[in-house]
Amino acid sequence: MNTPLLSVENLKVRFPVKRGLPWKAAQYVHAVDDVSFDIQRGETLGLVGESGSGKTTTALAVAKLINSWEGVVKLNGTDFFSLDKESLRLERANIQFIFQDPYSSLNPRLTAERIVSEPLRQLKNLSKKELAESVDDIFDAVGLRPEQKKLFPHQFSGGQRQRIGIARAIISKPQLVICDEPVSALDVAVQAQILNLLRDLQKRFNLTYLFISHDLGVVQHMCDRIAVMYMGKIVEFSNRMELFNSPQHPYTQALLSAVPSVDRKRRERVQRIVLSGDPPDPLNPVPGCHFAARCPSVDESIGCLKKFPPLDTVSESHQVACYRFKR
Amino acid sequence: MTTESPSPIKARHPAADAIAMFFKNIPAVVALIVLTAIILAGIFGPIFYAADPYDMVWAPFSPPGEEGFIFGTDYLGRDLFAGILHGARVSLLVGLSAAAMTVFIGVTIGALAGFFQGWVEEVLMRITEFFQVLPTLLFSMVIVALFGASLPVITLAIGLVSWPAVARITRAEFLSIRQLEYVTASRASGMKPFGLMFSIILPNAAPPIIVQTALMVGSAILFEAGLSFLGLTDPNVVSWGQIIGSNRPYILDAGYTVTLPGVAIFITVLCLSLIGDGLNDALNPKLRQR
Repeated sequence: MNTPLLSVENLKVRFPVKRGLPWKAAQYVHAVDDVSFDIQRGETLGLVGESGSGKTTTALAVAKLINSWEGVVKLNGTDFFSLDKESLRLERANIQFIFQDPYSSLNPRLTAERIVSEPLRQLKNLSKKELAESVDDIFDAVGLRPEQKKLFPHQFSGGQRQRIGIARAIISKPQLVICDEPVSALDVAVQAQILNLLRDLQKRFNLTYLFISHDLGVVQHMCDRIAVMYMGKIVEFSNRMELFNSPQHPYTQALLSAVPSVDRKRRERVQRIVLSGDPPDPLNPVPGCHFAARCPSVDESIGCLKKFPPLDTVSESHQVACYRFKR
Repeated sequence: MTTESPSPIKARHPAADAIAMFFKNIPAVVALIVLTAIILAGIFGPIFYAADPYDMVWAPFSPPGEEGFIFGTDYLGRDLFAGILHGARVSLLVGLSAAAMTVFIGVTIGALAGFFQGWVEEVLMRITEFFQVLPTLLFSMVIVALFGASLPVITLAIGLVSWPAVARITRAEFLSIRQLEYVTASRASGMKPFGLMFSIILPNAAPPIIVQTALMVGSAILFEAGLSFLGLTDPNVVSWGQIIGSNRPYILDAGYTVTLPGVAIFITVLCLSLIGDGLNDALNPKLRQR
């Protein structure tokens, strides 16, 4: 196998929480806890999980938009994290971000044209003419009209704003685009347009996506491989077919059983698994499996409460972190 | 895709809405007109009405209107109208430059504290608090007493005691804006920290700072009047406060010598407050429906 475009090794992100007196040691929220994955060129890796599972934090840490506690991120085999300030800044042209909220992700005081061209202004040395040409091309590619270049964000609709965000993310010809729930703030009709646009752009510019979502339907539509996150950990990692056909982790099973379906047969076949209990307190992580407290098939005798289970291989393209699987 | 008919929409800068909103606010517009008149009078008045406010031109305490002196004369027989015209220049100048200084110090400190956070913020905010708890009048009197009563020193004294308010507003705005996604987006676009601070966050943090500045000019004028009233002023330049201060003993015999410059201060500061209010309503549309 050739080198992956992006490889993330043992990424950890912790946020200090200060409580009480200043000399007391800070507690840490373990937002991302030892996450590793690879992304191959041209594929789309999905990252799914409930709110607070650390999806967005992982994405921000991969792009070094927040600092990580530990871990290595390699882009094209070179360590992205150990770059000095200026090289890191220039390397940002290769990792771009599409944000969740099309309203707060565009600076209200700049024109659409100005917002879209920002990465080129900062990262590439282009003449005015080249800059204008790039902007024209990218406006065309994302389906915005040239006369909208001079407009301000408040004059656009949500879907159009997200197109501006996408244009900004791909104008610097990045190798990796991190899409952080790019459609969850949009209504369903517009969601489909934006998802298809993302797929078209992927083919056209040979992009690689790290696609974050909590919507399994969207993930099924977009992703080649999927990592399921729970409380800062990857609990299952698989290609799309296997994950949706034979989920191994109890959390994934519960998640998939909750997907509504119009297919009556499927509705009857799939039994809804309802989880009880709450996720554990991220400030005091439990020693065992993070999911143990809510797991319907938790079993003390196989070590569920002692240590977090390692990722076990189910098949060549399917891994799961659960003790139950081994037996 | 883009479904609506391709009718050309005109680009509308967000500030254009604010300006339109401001001009719908009648008290603020009237205040702006009056203030403009006062500023023009301060700039051009002394040229057209070339009387020296220090010249003794007529008998003392001649009431307004007598002998062509529309505001009368003061206790030394000086032309009060000339005094108020010349004083306008000084009062406005002190007010504007003190406000400019306040904004400069306050925005710099607030921006650095709000952007870098950590120990930078701790240190800068402790300094800000130090200046904030000083008794303002006393502190400025000490400065003027130490460095001499000249206009630059008075301006400096006013600026030094009033910047903490601006610093705190700026810091608060920076703290809330810096975590918006468009700031992260600019960082992902490779923007450097100072670019982020001044070309991304500051323009978006500007509205409350602008409002505060308008109000600050008014309070600086009042402050200057207060200091001059106490005699802490350059004796060689006329200002409204100084006229009031020097005529104070005769307030019962010739009330107009104190009242007229007082009215000038009152109108100017009222106009500035109304403008500040208008700006506030125009720039913070969310607070408008009160």
